[in-house]
Amino acid sequence: MSKRVLIVPCSGIGKSYGTVAREGAYVVTEDLCPEQTKLVPLALLVLGGDEARSTMAGAKAITIDGCKLTCAAKVVAESGGTVAHAMDVPNVFRRHRDLKPSGIAELDENGHKLARVLAEEVRVLVDGIQEEVPHA
Amino acid sequence: MPELPKSKVGIIACSGEETPEGTITRLAALKVLESLRPHETVTICLPLFLAGGEGDRAFARLHPTIAVDGCEKRCAARGTEMYSAKPAVSIVVTDGAPAESSGLGSARKLNERGKHLVSEVADQIAWHVDELLDLKRDRDRGRGPQVDGPESREETKPRQAACSCGSGIPMQTLQIAGREVTLIALPLLFAQFRRAGRLPDDATKVELMRAVKVYNSISNADVTSYEQAIMREYSAFCARSH
Repeated sequence: MSKRVLIVPCSGIGKSYGTVAREGAYVVTEDLCPEQTKLVPLALLVLGGDEARSTMAGAKAITIDGCKLTCAAKVVAESGGTVAHAMDVPNVFRRHRDLKPSGIAELDENGHKLARVLAEEVRVLVDGIQEEVPHA
Repeated sequence: MPELPKSKVGIIACSGEETPEGTITRLAALKVLESLRPHETVTICLPLFLAGGEGDRAFARLHPTIAVDGCEKRCAARGTEMYSAKPAVSIVVTDGAPAESSGLGSARKLNERGKHLVSEVADQIAWHVDELLDLKRDRDRGRGPQVDGPESREETKPRQAACSCGSGIPMQTLQIAGREVTLIALPLLFAQFRRAGRLPDDATKVELMRAVKVYNSISNADVTSYEQAIMREYSAFCARSH
């Protein structure tokens, strides 16, 4: 099997979009692509060092950010990782304006729907990355 | 470090996405920010210390900070110290109530035991907030949160968590040697010195510059021009607030 794609959501705690990023990552790694992906906690990468670099080494990552500050994408790059795709929730929302999320600790129904839409988009990207990898 | 006004306590959760304990840090922090101590606390995302700017990295230098971690790696505490300043308090979820992750539900969905631990950790954070802000007047000292009950101050209508990304640190831009320079914490330092009745004289200059340097990097070659600009601005500040 080819190497798992790393899914790195932001740790956004002050906005609903951050929770959507987190929930979307769970949908991808637990429901849609559990065998093809691996969830990476961003906090671990913040510390840098060998553990962060070995986590990212040789793998492709899809980052999911909740705001324009794009912490996940920046921290993955800083850790020596390869950001194959940088997703951001506000951009997904702009294409699905009927799904305005609310709630941070608990997402509302729209928030869960937006996370699902996001996750479906990530799944397509995961499939694309896996197809790029030559079979042994 | 100068004693800046401790109006808010910063809460920094590791939010670890991989384990139930990480989710517990996140939800406990949110409970404090939204319900238990909404007026006394503020938060910032841990990764912003690395990904953000100087203003974000000054966060723990301006707020006494409580780091809340899900495991002994202590990413929140270590990350905060590495990029900003040492947290005033470091809490690890499993410290007080060691529990197997499997007994708390999943990172995505906590079970009842996990939710109970969220409340316990939130109470613990709220207790430390009161300690740091010296809000102990309603409490029986030394009896801890289980007795005096942080929940007793819980707001019935939760607020949105106050997030400080890129906006919570007071800064001021000055013209120094022909260029614009943004100085972190300058408005707070001016207010503090003014409250202390310090006039814009040479003695104040020495102390004010020492305080400014705690939060801002100033090369030796630039010190004189910084001094002139800062004292000129402080004189104007004193005149305005006379």
